[in-house]
Amino acid sequence: MSKRNIQLEVLRYRPEQDREPVFQTYTVPCEEEWVVLDALNYVKDEIDRTLSYRWSCHMFVCGSCGFKINGEPKLGCKAFLRDYGDKIRVEPLDNFPIERDLVVVIDDFVDKLQSVKPYIIPKEEKSVAAGEYIQTPAQLKTFKQYSMCINCLLCYSACPQYGLTNQEFIGPAALALAHRYNMDSRDVGRSAREHVLASHEGVWECSFVGACSIVCPKDVDPAGAIQQAKFTSAIDYLTSMVGIGGK
Amino acid sequence: MSARKPYVRKMSKTSWFLTHARFKSYMLHEVSSVFVALYMWLLIDGLFRLAKGPEAWEAWLSFIKHPLVVILSLIAFAFFIIHTTSWFKAVPQAMRIQTGEHFVDGKLIVGGHYVALGIFSLFVLILAGVA
Ligand code: SF4
Ligand code: FES
Repeated sequence: MSKRNIQLEVLRYRPEQDREPVFQTYTVPCEEEWVVLDALNYVKDEIDRTLSYRWSCHMFVCGSCGFKINGEPKLGCKAFLRDYGDKIRVEPLDNFPIERDLVVVIDDFVDKLQSVKPYIIPKEEKSVAAGEYIQTPAQLKTFKQYSMCINCLLCYSACPQYGLTNQEFIGPAALALAHRYNMDSRDVGRSAREHVLASHEGVWECSFVGACSIVCPKDVDPAGAIQQAKFTSAIDYLTSMVGIGGK
Repeated sequence: MSARKPYVRKMSKTSWFLTHARFKSYMLHEVSSVFVALYMWLLIDGLFRLAKGPEAWEAWLSFIKHPLVVILSLIAFAFFIIHTTSWFKAVPQAMRIQTGEHFVDGKLIVGGHYVALGIFSLFVLILAGVA
């Protein structure tokens, strides 16, 4: 197996000693089939144990290894070294405060996620004995794409509105998830989510830059979800004006 | 005492769109709408002149035939193309048409928009006696 030396430039921030983040370069002997996360793991195991970053699954499922790689938000475990040159720059995701090295503070997102009530609100609670809530494949198809989100936050890192509003904007993934539940035939929670979704910080803050959908590793297309949610929110507004409520 | 000291990176409010090619093309799209709006305004102004009478109408006609206005119109037309193509490209994201367990192919939706644009343009050109 062929090895290649890669210069890994990692943005480091150690709150106890750094006043601001600084780049540190590691020379990493990499296998050709490695991903950027493997190179970081090599640094951690063999070169510098103080380097901090998040990861878990190594298979694009857990969503914890989001970094900015050569200026682009990527999953470290999905960024293959063969697609990069001999110099790779790894930074923490944009638009979030840096906790340490590549670890960012995501509390704001977690709050926003909760605010959109990302769970099914059924018309009436059924007991387990009463059986499942039935749904056809076509009804599932309507929202399935939006349920693939792994909360990796690449979309928030790519979204200029989230940065420009100092994290006021509810943001792509949370809004896409709100839309996902609104589109679910088993759910009647649209009005319960409306005050967040249709607020100024909600879908109307989105100016459709579309960066979120480009960087999303799961093809969720949050930008599309938000534009569709704008449409339903406008319809809801109009129908409530003339007194015929929606769902 | 907490040892935490999260570092907040500032985003420039005035030059953020220069930081990525994606943002530049977004800005180009946004700026193009200004030209579209200005040209609309010119056309609506023409309508008002037409309503005012033959003299006002003739003055407007000679105004839009002025070389400088022709050049500006060509520039506006270029921005018009940018605006239209970038919007049409994004339509399938905002407009999903589901039939049973499938969605209508985005290319069909975009194609439909271009066909509609072609038909409308042809209609207008015929009305104007050009085609
Ligand atoms: S929408 Fe896509 S980019 Fe955003 S958090 Fe979910 S999986 Fe990640
Ligand atoms: S480590 Fe889980 S998504 Fe990359």
